[in-house]
Order: sequence, then structure tokens, then C-alpha cells
Amino acid sequence: MKVVANLNVCQGHARCEDICPEVFSTDAIEGKVVIENPEFPPELEEKVRLAVRNCPEGALRIAKGAKA
Amino acid sequence: MTLHWQPSAPEHVPPELMVDFDFFKIPEGLKDPAQIWHGLVRDGAPPIFYTPHNGGHWVFLKYDDIVEGYRDFEKFSTYQTPIPPIEPFPVVMPQGVDPPEHTVFRMLLAPMFTPLAVRRMTEHLQQRAEKLIAGFADKGECDFIADYASIFPTSTFLELFGLPQERLPEFLALSEVFFRSTDPDARAQNLNDIYAVLEDLFREKERNPGNDIASTIVTARDADGNQHKWIDILNCGFLLFVAGLDTVTNTMTYVWRYLATTPEARAYFRSKLDDPQAFLMAIEELMRINAVSNIYRRVTHDFEYKGIRFKRNDRIILPNTVANRDPSIFSNPQSIDLDRKVNNHVTFGVGPHRCIGSHLAKREIMISMQEWLKHIPDFELAPDQAEASVFGGSVMGFTSLKLRW
Ligand code: HEM
Ligand code: SF4
Repeated sequence: MKVVANLNVCQGHARCEDICPEVFSTDAIEGKVVIENPEFPPELEEKVRLAVRNCPEGALRIAKGAKA
Repeated sequence: MTLHWQPSAPEHVPPELMVDFDFFKIPEGLKDPAQIWHGLVRDGAPPIFYTPHNGGHWVFLKYDDIVEGYRDFEKFSTYQTPIPPIEPFPVVMPQGVDPPEHTVFRMLLAPMFTPLAVRRMTEHLQQRAEKLIAGFADKGECDFIADYASIFPTSTFLELFGLPQERLPEFLALSEVFFRSTDPDARAQNLNDIYAVLEDLFREKERNPGNDIASTIVTARDADGNQHKWIDILNCGFLLFVAGLDTVTNTMTYVWRYLATTPEARAYFRSKLDDPQAFLMAIEELMRINAVSNIYRRVTHDFEYKGIRFKRNDRIILPNTVANRDPSIFSNPQSIDLDRKVNNHVTFGVGPHRCIGSHLAKREIMISMQEWLKHIPDFELAPDQAEASVFGGSVMGFTSLKLRW
């Protein structure tokens, strides 16, 4: 599965990083989300979904039809 | 002198949207200042209403409208917003300007407040927290605000700005008058004093730049390779001084008041001392329930929103504490659930002005809780609490909180 971020909307709350640091981090300049490996393993699905739901800007989404 | 930013008489406000509400006024005996806002909701105030107090202003009470107030800067500006209206009002950088102008100072400050940058400060924060707590742990009592919650964020400011900790008393005195004085002369003098200190500080950092935020601001160059306008530099320093003190102090005071009265919460956090990730998640719930800031906006032009007419220069208050307990967004909004899974609170705002210090603030609070619980695992409210020790306004909070153990 795959998670994508809309960087125009991301404001760097870093809630995603706090919840699922395995997938999300934030950059050193603007503090916006960085997703090194958008394809995440099934065992992280619950945490990634939680991160998506906790983004206060609605900047994250799980890409449809990207099932591994 | 022409006054540009004064609101018009509220002839456009229908009588059914008028509510008699003064957000500075705390009824006698009230122990939690946030309750003046929640009382409005309980009493069935319209979700968008107007009060004639404090120069006249709107209040948004629904999460969705509050978020809109933060995001839609073309309608709801941060430029010249004080309530009651004062002008000219210092244009603090970057909070007091809208995008795209906002982006310049926002981008300048951003690298110094990222989670990465804040993580690097952990050790120093820990040392300062530990030292302060060790200073009174053996006494068995303290006034949490005077002995800890006002000192800790002020000493963090000194560190951020590359100033020696010896100057703490001077900065505590400046902020005490700034946040608590109601005497107009003392307030005017205090503003002069703060700006004089900032002037000296930035001049010194210009001559001898160090590895600190003040030096970064004063040595930065704009798109044309020039130093930023001196007044913008001062106003940015001023914002960084005032934004991270009273907010942190009063959030901490709310949190310690809750811990003092809730043994299960102390046990919960003690059990997470070795699990910072879980600790932080639970703190997020304390941030939701203890949102001390009520944020101001100014209407940029006449328009209709949700069928209500707004006029240019109308003021609006976005009370975060109300958004954070909106039952259409949060399940069991009034109860504190340290395991809450979905928690889109707006304690630090949303949109372009999202609190740049949010990661620092949370880390200051987390480290303070950790060090405190290591030294003082159990504590309670002292029986002799001061009378009338709460206040309302743009930041709500307490003037005293006596603890004992
Ligand atoms: C618990 C503590 C804090 C709370 C509740 C808080 C709350 C807020 C809120 C709600 C905003 C948005 C203002 C708006 O939209 O007009 C904001 C902005 C800001 N905060 Fe904080 N804050 C806290 C701590 C801090 C700290 C520690 C600092 C830095 C030292 C800081 C610096 C700022 C700055 C510079 C802005 C303006 C950002 C911009 O306009 O882009 N805050 N804060
Ligand atoms: S939680 Fe949302 S806004 Fe915050 S950094 Fe992650 S993606 Fe960006």
C-alpha cells in the first residue's frame, strides 16, 4: 500500500511523524512531511491510517488502487 | 489622525445573533477560566454570534468555522487584530501579516523550530528542568507558577536567543508586567523597556553573531541581499519573546493542576517514563483539553459567510478550547482519554500560522513532566489556594497554583 502527502497543504504539525516514525519524518528546512518509502508494509497499515486521520491539515492520503 | 482598522457600528448584526459576553470577565469563584467559553455553548449561544463588549467582536463556536477562520486568510486576516481595537498595533513577524508576505519570516524561522532542531535541545532542556525541580523537591511544597512554570519557558527563551541565564530575573520582570499589569502607564513603559532590550540584543548579535535565533534573524538577507527592515527584526524578536512564555506557563499550570488531582494520570505517565512516543501521544490529549489561546482575526472585506453578513474590520475570536470539545469532531469531548486515537485539536492553530513553537512547547512540557515525576512522583493541591487566581483574555490561565507532596 502507498501513502502520499500534499505538501501545499502540509503545515508541519509532525503528528504523522509522532505516530508512525517508521514511515513519516519532517525535513530540516521547513519542517514539512517527508515520506522516504511511500510503499509501506501491511504490518504498518494501522499506524499509517492513524497518522492519516490525525493530520490536522488533511494533507495525507492512502493512494487508491495501490494495493500491494 | 485617520483610524484605518476600527470596526464599524454593528448595524449589520441581527438581534438574534447578539450575546452579552465579555471574555475578560471571570465570574466570582470560577476555578477554570475556559469554562466561560464552555458556559456559552451549554447556554445555547448561536454557533456564530456577536458581542458588543471589548469594541465589539464575533465569536466562532464550531470546529469547522474556527478552522476556516485560521485557513482562509483572504477573508480572515491576522493584520491589525487586537481586541479591543488599538492602532497602530505592532506588526509582529510573522504572525501579524498574511501570506505571501508572511512566508518571508516564517521561512527564516522554520529551520530553528523543526522537530529535528527541537530534539537537539533535549539535553539542555532536561538539565534546566532537573536543576529547577531539585531546588525545591525537598521542601515538600511550591507555588508551581512562581517556582517553575514561569521560569522554565523564560530560561528557554534566553537559551534560544543566545543570552546568559544570569539575565533571567530581568526577563521575568519584563514579562510579569507585560502579561499581568493592567496599568496603562506601566504597560506603555514596559513595551519601551522590552524594545530597548531587543534593540541592544540585536545590535550586539549583529556585531558578534553566534549560533542562536537572534543572530540568525539579524544576519539574514532578503531576496535582494539586504538585511530585513530593522522594525521587522525587532517585532519578530518581540513575538518570539511573548509567544512562548504565557502560553507555556498556563498550559503547564493546567496540566499540573490536573495531575495533582488525578492519581491515575500520574500513574499513567509514570508508567510511560521509558516510552517517549507513548508519553507524547498522551500529552496530545492534554494539549486538546487545555487549550489556553483564544486567537483573533480581522475581516478583510464585506462578505457573507454561512448566511451571516460580515463587514470589513469586524473582529473575530477563535476560541480553541471550544473547537477542541466540539462533539461533531471528538467522541466524549469533555472527558480526558489519555489513549485517544484520533485527536485533531487546534491548540496550536492550523493553516499558515500554525504555531511554529508547537514542537518546542510540547517538548518543554514533556521534559518537565518527566523530570518532575522522577523527583516528585506524587503531589496534591495545597489547601490554601489563593483567591481569585484565574484570568481570561487572549491567553487564559492562573496567577498561582500551590502544590504540596
Ligand atoms: C503551549 C504553548 C503554546 C500555545 C498554546 C501556542 C499557540 C499558538 C497559536 C494558536 C498560534 C497561531 C496564531 C494565529 O493563527 O494567529 C501560535 C503561533 C505562533 N507561536 Fe505559539 N503557542 C505556544 C508556544 C509557543 C512557543 C514556545 C513559541 C516559540 C518560542 C511560539 C511561537 C509562536 C510563533 C512565532 C507564532 C506565529 C507563527 C506564524 O504566524 O507563522 N509559540 N501559537
Ligand atoms: S501531520 Fe499533516 S500537516 Fe503535519 S507534518 Fe504530517 S502531513 Fe504535514
